[in-house]
Amino acid sequence: MDNIKVLLIDDEIEFVETLAERLELRGYTSKIAQDGESGISMIANESFDVVILDLMMPGLSGLDTLRQIKEIDKALPVIMLTGHGSTKDGMEGMRMGAVDFLMKPLDINELLEKIKLALNESLKG
Amino acid sequence: MQVEISNDKPAFLGKVTASVTHDIQNVLAIIKETSGLMEDLFLMHQSGNLENIEEKIGTCIKTIKKQTYRGVKLTSGLNGFAHTADTSQGAINIFETLERMISITERLFKQKGADVSILECKKACSVDTDPVLFQLIAFACIECLIDNFDARASITLDIQSLADQTAIQFLYNDDTLTYEDYNQQITHSDQWIKITALCEQISLSAEVTADFPGIFLFFK
Repeated sequence: MDNIKVLLIDDEIEFVETLAERLELRGYTSKIAQDGESGISMIANESFDVVILDLMMPGLSGLDTLRQIKEIDKALPVIMLTGHGSTKDGMEGMRMGAVDFLMKPLDINELLEKIKLALNESLKG
Repeated sequence: MQVEISNDKPAFLGKVTASVTHDIQNVLAIIKETSGLMEDLFLMHQSGNLENIEEKIGTCIKTIKKQTYRGVKLTSGLNGFAHTADTSQGAINIFETLERMISITERLFKQKGADVSILECKKACSVDTDPVLFQLIAFACIECLIDNFDARASITLDIQSLADQTAIQFLYNDDTLTYEDYNQQITHSDQWIKITALCEQISLSAEVTADFPGIFLFFK
């Protein structure tokens, strides 16, 4: 899984920075955006293999960000993150085109598994 | 109106609790990732693939400490907030009650881009009221200002202890608004109808005055 480029979008900076470092240690290339607007701008200007997107952020919400990402690149796999205790918003994200969702706190192995699955699906598509 | 009010209180308690517990999930997520990173670094160091991990481990420890304090502040605030529902009538310290409510609902307002703060109140202002309903009204005043004006602004709460009256200013920090404009926008909003109806239940009064853009709440 070398040279896989992941974009992490979450306003919790210490969360994304740490997650990015853990992904880097596993051979991924990680970039960070702290809000939906910056994430969209990064996607418009460079290519990513997968996006990890938090649902609840100030400004543009996770679902609005997802909608705009899909307008730029429909095929780009997006995995949603939610701190909510229910799966409702995650399911809504999947209905809008996200490939999967995960609840916070994360299990890194589960995230890696979902990234792999998302990339495999993306290759098939 | 009584039916609507009785339904409002659980909804308010639920909204605040959901927001705080979401924040706590974030705190736990950071602690989990940071301890995971420490484990990654330690394993790589043990297998000889990484040297000089001391600085990184030190940063991780600082992050965990910081998030622990954040978590404690959130849970203490939520606990204090939850206990305000213990009684439907009792003496509350206005500053302490509002400061805690703002502190734990910060994320809800930041979500909309607004920054809410309260000015330090040296004099202890205490009132006998329904604590949850009082906080619900204060919350509704803040929401009313955020929803009816540009949310990306700041709102300041200022408690004023006058000779015979305690009052709270919800000041929307925008000098460009004229009295006619903000009075029209606030008093014609759905929230205003709710605020004034709720105020009647606990001898509070809400007004929009020419003195400042925002809402003036005072105990009758």
